[in-house]
Amino acid sequence: MTRTTKPDDGGPTATPAASLRFDAVQKRYPGNARPTIESLSIEVPAGEICVLVGPSGCGKTTAMRMVNRLIEPTAGQILIDGRPNTERAPADLRREIGYVIQQTGLFPHRTIAQNVATVPKLLGWSTDRIAARTTELLELVGLDPEFADRYPAQLSGGQRQRVGVARALAVDPPLMLMDEPFGAIDPITRERLQNEFLRLQAQVRRTIVFVTHDIDEAIKMGDRIAVMRPGGRLAQYATPAELLLSPADEFVEQFVGADRALKRLALGRVRDLELEEPTRVRYGDPVAGVREALRRAEVPYPLVIDADGRPLAWLDDDDLHGERIADGIGSEVAVVDRDDILRDAFSDVLQHRVQYAAVTDHRGVVIGILSADAVARELAPPGPAPVQPAEAHHGTGA
Amino acid sequence: MSLVLAQSGGFVRDRSAGASGQDACVARDGVCPSWIAENFDRYVEPLQRHVLLTVVALVIGFTISFALALLAHRRRWLVTPIVQLTGILYTIPSLALFFLLLPLTGRGFLTAEIALVSYTLLIIFRNVITGLDGVPADAVDAARGMGLTDRQVLWKVEIPLALPEIAAGLRIAATTTVGLATLAFFAGAGGLGDPIYADLTFKSNVLVAGGLCVLLAVVLDLLVLLAQRLLTPWTRAATA
Ligand SMILES: Nc1ncnc2c1ncn2[C@@H]1O[C@H](COP(=O)(O)OP(=O)(O)OP(=O)(O)O)[C@@H](O)[C@H]1O
Ligand SMILES: [Mg+2]
Repeated sequence: MTRTTKPDDGGPTATPAASLRFDAVQKRYPGNARPTIESLSIEVPAGEICVLVGPSGCGKTTAMRMVNRLIEPTAGQILIDGRPNTERAPADLRREIGYVIQQTGLFPHRTIAQNVATVPKLLGWSTDRIAARTTELLELVGLDPEFADRYPAQLSGGQRQRVGVARALAVDPPLMLMDEPFGAIDPITRERLQNEFLRLQAQVRRTIVFVTHDIDEAIKMGDRIAVMRPGGRLAQYATPAELLLSPADEFVEQFVGADRALKRLALGRVRDLELEEPTRVRYGDPVAGVREALRRAEVPYPLVIDADGRPLAWLDDDDLHGERIADGIGSEVAVVDRDDILRDAFSDVLQHRVQYAAVTDHRGVVIGILSADAVARELAPPGPAPVQPAEAHHGTGA
Repeated sequence: MSLVLAQSGGFVRDRSAGASGQDACVARDGVCPSWIAENFDRYVEPLQRHVLLTVVALVIGFTISFALALLAHRRRWLVTPIVQLTGILYTIPSLALFFLLLPLTGRGFLTAEIALVSYTLLIIFRNVITGLDGVPADAVDAARGMGLTDRQVLWKVEIPLALPEIAAGLRIAATTTVGLATLAFFAGAGGLGDPIYADLTFKSNVLVAGGLCVLLAVVLDLLVLLAQRLLTPWTRAATA
């Protein structure tokens, strides 16, 4: 997923995203005394990610699976683009709704390409069109084309999850259902997949129902978050910023957690902060000139870049001797992407035990420097009111 | 009782056959290479018959068990009665079954096949059910979630993934049937049981007929294994 945000890049099959509405939906499983979902009403505008979040067993999966009729509601209805989802045969309906689950559900007996081609094949696409689309999708989710002929068992968990996403996107469905898609993955890979998915979503703009029980993931991924409490009752349906700033009640407040201020870091992106300008130098530059430039610099260390502007190393005072900067010297640079959320970027910076991280664009070119101070300032803005309402920007970074 | 049923089919040791130098060996009931070489073609017809008995029993047995398994896969309550019924068939001694069938179907191929088929049912049925049960639930859920119909889920996901288990059942059934088919002789259906029971004391005879049985069992086993390997390339990829 190294491609940048191109406007309106839905490919040749681009279909408009669908809007989704739960209308007083109730679900009581036979044999259960109380309904799993008492009455759920939410509206998801086209092209947005709606996260269903809540403690285990509160009915998130149940709610999601009623959308593509894997589960039928006991009462109420679900409308897709204003039309009840019961109007169509379940199989037809499901072919137009992307479906991603935590266990991936990849077919072990089919190659990656065949897995991705599942729905196009059901819809009777020509082999040429399927082949072209498969290649395109693997690239879209950042998988090497050489994976096409492998079997799922030959992939890592993260790679399998990407295939799951590619497979769900195959026919560019107007609506996607994702049940804890990154739940069973190690934290570092999960963070990467989340970022890549958000970048992908900025490109394809599908309507997505995203289930998680992780509030941090909800805040990061959601345009809107539906916090559910046991019994399938909606505790609050709001944007991530609203949720953090004004939780509707004690349940939500507890669920969101005491570290709400820290969580606000998940709302901002690196690019939203004011970045500092580094002193860019190249190996072989005259040391005197560098020293001169440093005198006026915000960041007290010169940053070595390569011919394309990518960061190579930090230099400190000890490195600045002799006539010219010696090849290959300096210390490692912590690099964050301009689209990373602040929380992740900050933790990267802390992990490297440095003050500064180089911020790069999608090509890896340095566009500025993020300092730990800048993050701290964002966290606790100076002035009389220590907790200042954050701007209403949120999650996906349109 | 075997004497009542037994009909040697003319397969009596011809002690005079063979070169005169072999007579001593044959008279001792020993393993006589030249006797075997000279008389080998007498085993070809029983072998062909044995192959026919086995393959027909396997094809019919597989068809019935597979159909029953598909039926029971969606209607779980059927599993127990089917296992019980085929279990009873499995435990009736084959000779007893021949006797029970004689008044109904008479001597011959049909009687033998009914007995042989009934022995395969339990093995194959259980393995197909086990195979279908072992299909990862998430693959089935994803298949349904992507809009495969029930039939497509069955044929495109569940059955392919159950193939290793199905093949395992077929291999056990094949080996068992090759062995049991030697008893078809008692139902007058021929096969390698003919020469074996015609002269159990003659080592050359038992060695050739028994050896052909083992060979047939091995060949059938390898054939099923080969078919399985060709049909399930992913099982090797997983461990590679
Ligand atoms: N098929 C079913 N029959 C009966 N009860 C069910 C069924 N499926 C789910 N339930 C019950 O409904 C409740 C909600 O289940 P659901 O799977 O929707 O929860 P969830 O919010 O997705 O939980 P988790 O975070 O653990 O995945 C649970 O108490 C569960 O026991
Ligand atoms: Mg769930």
